[in-house]
Amino acid sequence: MSNALTVLARPVAWIPEARRRQFALAIVIVLALSFPIWHDNDADIDSMANAAAYATLALGLNIVVGFAGLLDLGYAAFFAIGAYSYGVLSSFQLQPAWTDFWVPFQWLGLVTKMAADTGSGSVVHFTLSFWLALPLSAAFAAFWGVLFGAPTLRLRGDYLAIVTLGFGEIVPIVVRNWSDLTNGAAGLNGVAAPRLFGWSFGVDSTPYYYVAIALVALLIFVSIRLRDSRIGRAWMAIREDEIAAGCMGVDLTRFKLLAFAIGAAFGGMTGVFYVAKLQTATPEMFGFPVSVMILVMIVFGGIGSVWGVVVGAFFLQLLQSWWLEDLTGWINAFGSLVGSKWLQHIDLVPSIELIFGFILVGMMLFRRQGLIPAVRKQAPLSFEQQHAVVQRGGFTDLKLQGLGGDVRTGAAAMEVKGVTVRFGGLTALNAVDITVPNGSVVAVIGPNGSGKSTLFNAITGLVPSEAGSIRFHGEEILGLPPHEILRKGVARTFQNLRLFPNLTVMENALIGQHARLTTGVFRAIFRPPGTRAEEDAARTWAMEIFAIFGNRLAPRVMQMVSGLSYANRRRIEIARALASRPRILLLDEPTAGMNPAETLELAEQIKSLNALGLTVLLIEHKLDVVTTLADTVYVLDHGEVIAQGRPDEVRRDEEVLRAYLGRNAQAAAAGVTV
Amino acid sequence: MTLTDLIIQQTINGLSLGAMYALLALGFTLVYGILELINFSHFNVFMVGSFIAFWVLQMFGLTGQDVILTGLPLAMVLLVAFTVTMVGSGAIGVLIERLCLRPLRDVKGPAAMITTIGVSYILFNIILLSMGAEARNYPNPLPPVRFHIGDAILDVRVLLIWAVALVLMVALYLFVQKSRMGKAMRATAQDPEAARMMGVDVDRVVVMAFFLGSALAGAGGLIFGLYYNFTSFIIGFTAGLRAFTAAVLGGIGNVPGAMVGGIIIGLIEALGGQIAGAWTDVIIFSILVLVLVFKPSGLFGRMTPTKS
Repeated sequence: MSNALTVLARPVAWIPEARRRQFALAIVIVLALSFPIWHDNDADIDSMANAAAYATLALGLNIVVGFAGLLDLGYAAFFAIGAYSYGVLSSFQLQPAWTDFWVPFQWLGLVTKMAADTGSGSVVHFTLSFWLALPLSAAFAAFWGVLFGAPTLRLRGDYLAIVTLGFGEIVPIVVRNWSDLTNGAAGLNGVAAPRLFGWSFGVDSTPYYYVAIALVALLIFVSIRLRDSRIGRAWMAIREDEIAAGCMGVDLTRFKLLAFAIGAAFGGMTGVFYVAKLQTATPEMFGFPVSVMILVMIVFGGIGSVWGVVVGAFFLQLLQSWWLEDLTGWINAFGSLVGSKWLQHIDLVPSIELIFGFILVGMMLFRRQGLIPAVRKQAPLSFEQQHAVVQRGGFTDLKLQGLGGDVRTGAAAMEVKGVTVRFGGLTALNAVDITVPNGSVVAVIGPNGSGKSTLFNAITGLVPSEAGSIRFHGEEILGLPPHEILRKGVARTFQNLRLFPNLTVMENALIGQHARLTTGVFRAIFRPPGTRAEEDAARTWAMEIFAIFGNRLAPRVMQMVSGLSYANRRRIEIARALASRPRILLLDEPTAGMNPAETLELAEQIKSLNALGLTVLLIEHKLDVVTTLADTVYVLDHGEVIAQGRPDEVRRDEEVLRAYLGRNAQAAAAGVTV
Repeated sequence: MTLTDLIIQQTINGLSLGAMYALLALGFTLVYGILELINFSHFNVFMVGSFIAFWVLQMFGLTGQDVILTGLPLAMVLLVAFTVTMVGSGAIGVLIERLCLRPLRDVKGPAAMITTIGVSYILFNIILLSMGAEARNYPNPLPPVRFHIGDAILDVRVLLIWAVALVLMVALYLFVQKSRMGKAMRATAQDPEAARMMGVDVDRVVVMAFFLGSALAGAGGLIFGLYYNFTSFIIGFTAGLRAFTAAVLGGIGNVPGAMVGGIIIGLIEALGGQIAGAWTDVIIFSILVLVLVFKPSGLFGRMTPTKS
């Protein structure tokens, strides 16, 4: 696929890529706008309008599944909510008796007064305008998205799938059985067609087609703007690694709910359009098969890929409404040619769902990234770049404003007091006290399983502490969620690397700045100058951070993290943490897996960072690193602090020797046979 | 019918449905316990199992409820029907694992779950396209013997359903608890990595989980036909979702939990259906959501692999 594209692109390779994209986009727009003119067939225009409606649904589900990585199997529920909210408010379904209460609504044009069927008195006729219903239903569906999402967000991904499936089932059941509101299984009838300046759309397909492609264009625009913003990066961080996203300052609950709400809003809008076009709504239009069909579209087009899901939706809808029929015709004709009864009577149209099933399985097995992948492979570095002389980046001359600046006053930056963590019967940390003075480097050492990483997890809010307190510059941070703790200025790395592997080096560093940026949904969509400036500044800051590591990361900023070397990934984790402008940096075995030269290099860099005034709390196994860097060393064993002091003091401590070397070894050293 | 009789009647119905859901729930629990995968194809393995039994019974010349067998012929027919159905469904389960899921075993994210949805759709549509959309009258050779408890009726087929479900569940429980393979399964469910290092053939364990789960689902499909006197391409979805709820309610990964959960859901459906009517499914889904949100470990504790 990508190879075929490369070959196709060869004759136009001299045109800059950005220009080529603009040109392709222009062609697509012109073709889309002129379609009803050069193809004057109402049924086909209708098919295209339906395909466009499904493209908007696919774009909505793509926000939830593709961007935020939350598998939603009941997405059609929001489609239904949007559809029925418009359908009920612009048809004759509800006819409450007329009272003065309705007069203000009459002025607003939302209702009219009409004679009751029974002949006596007047009743209300709801006449909500289609154009008003689009945003209102979007908001209403978003509200339900939050309501459905809120209880389920704590669940693991696979449970979320089944719960959304359940919600997706409940909504049609409610619609079917709440006949007073929805007219039950018979469906809503006589839903008003949209009107524009007094002219009704009626049943001609062309105006609906234009509304539909306008919706598609709008939602593509919104999707792309969101994707390339702080919001989209936060979603993708959640998708890639929830724990790391939280520790990098992403408020998980908020951003998951936001994804649900925006996805639901897209679905709600589409529902309004769809029911206005059909002028009816039945529960069957919103069942599980519809949710699956939308899922098939995004799987086929490429999960997370905006253009991919649009192409996927159009392709599968047109396959269903055009091509399968054509194919059936050809096969039948071929059948009569060769005299095969079976071929003459074969009908492929009902097998569309079977095809959907095969698409799901086939794509997952053979092309998980979909037709148009969301992430395109970056060109690898040239040989020269790969083998360039390593510059160590003596970065004392770097500006790095906003990093460190803590003076060694002797005051405590972080005070850990009496922190106790238990896992079942195991006490991982028992009343641990650690003080990190402002501007110093404190190292925590100890045998494997002594509770070092658990200490970091307790400080960053990943595991709850039963007792004690953790004060950061005098402020209690124990009990805060991870993203709040990062906001206070505590950033960490992980022992087993928790990067966002399918994002670029730059994106990883930008997610690190999440808590320091302010762009919200509206600014992400409209991108005012302030937001542009903020983005530019964020990128500049990331480049400054990368410069700490000389030319190790700087040439690789547009590369996927998953393709980089282990040592570089360790550096990216540190860079990501630094990008958040921390006041204390927690490093969990930063040099693990590095060779002696790389270890030395990193140790120097940490030292320089400290010299800038950044406080560092470090877990490390390599004692030479600890000795060079640390002002104070704490030794943990079985969850308790068994020694503390200057590195050279600790090295001679008997209890430390016993913990590290064991009782017997110590005895042997003393010349006693056991 | 007095209230007491009504309650007795609905309890009888509920226990029958519950037996079916329990068999189906075991398949979810076995696979989830080992792979942490919600296997949506299980929904329709159950449905296909119901059709396999339908074809087997037809081969014995049974078409509806007219032909009635007793004694040895009845026992033989049922034995053959249950055996063929269970082996056939089990084979489908194994095939699904081998062809579609094993290549995705180490792929992170929802790929495997999406695949099971696809497989489910394929099974669903194969039956829809080949057998048609209308419900099929299910062959049922059981004699119409009934016992009366007040006004409540205890049908002989209900007794058969209880007996079969009980035998299968006890057999599965003993297999998981006592056999060598069962021990390997429990070990893999605890920690696949460690089990592999101790010499457990994890691939075989997974295949076994799929075989057993699918075989039980097939038996459940046959029971569905005998109980309702019909089968259709569409039966998998609702029954599957209810059975999954049962598995979650009992604590996913937990074999006895799935059995008890199934019975509870069956009783809720039968007794609740008396009160809530069309809203029963809403109640059952609400239970699913509430359990997942407030007590994700279910009534009896979940047993799933520990990931470091």
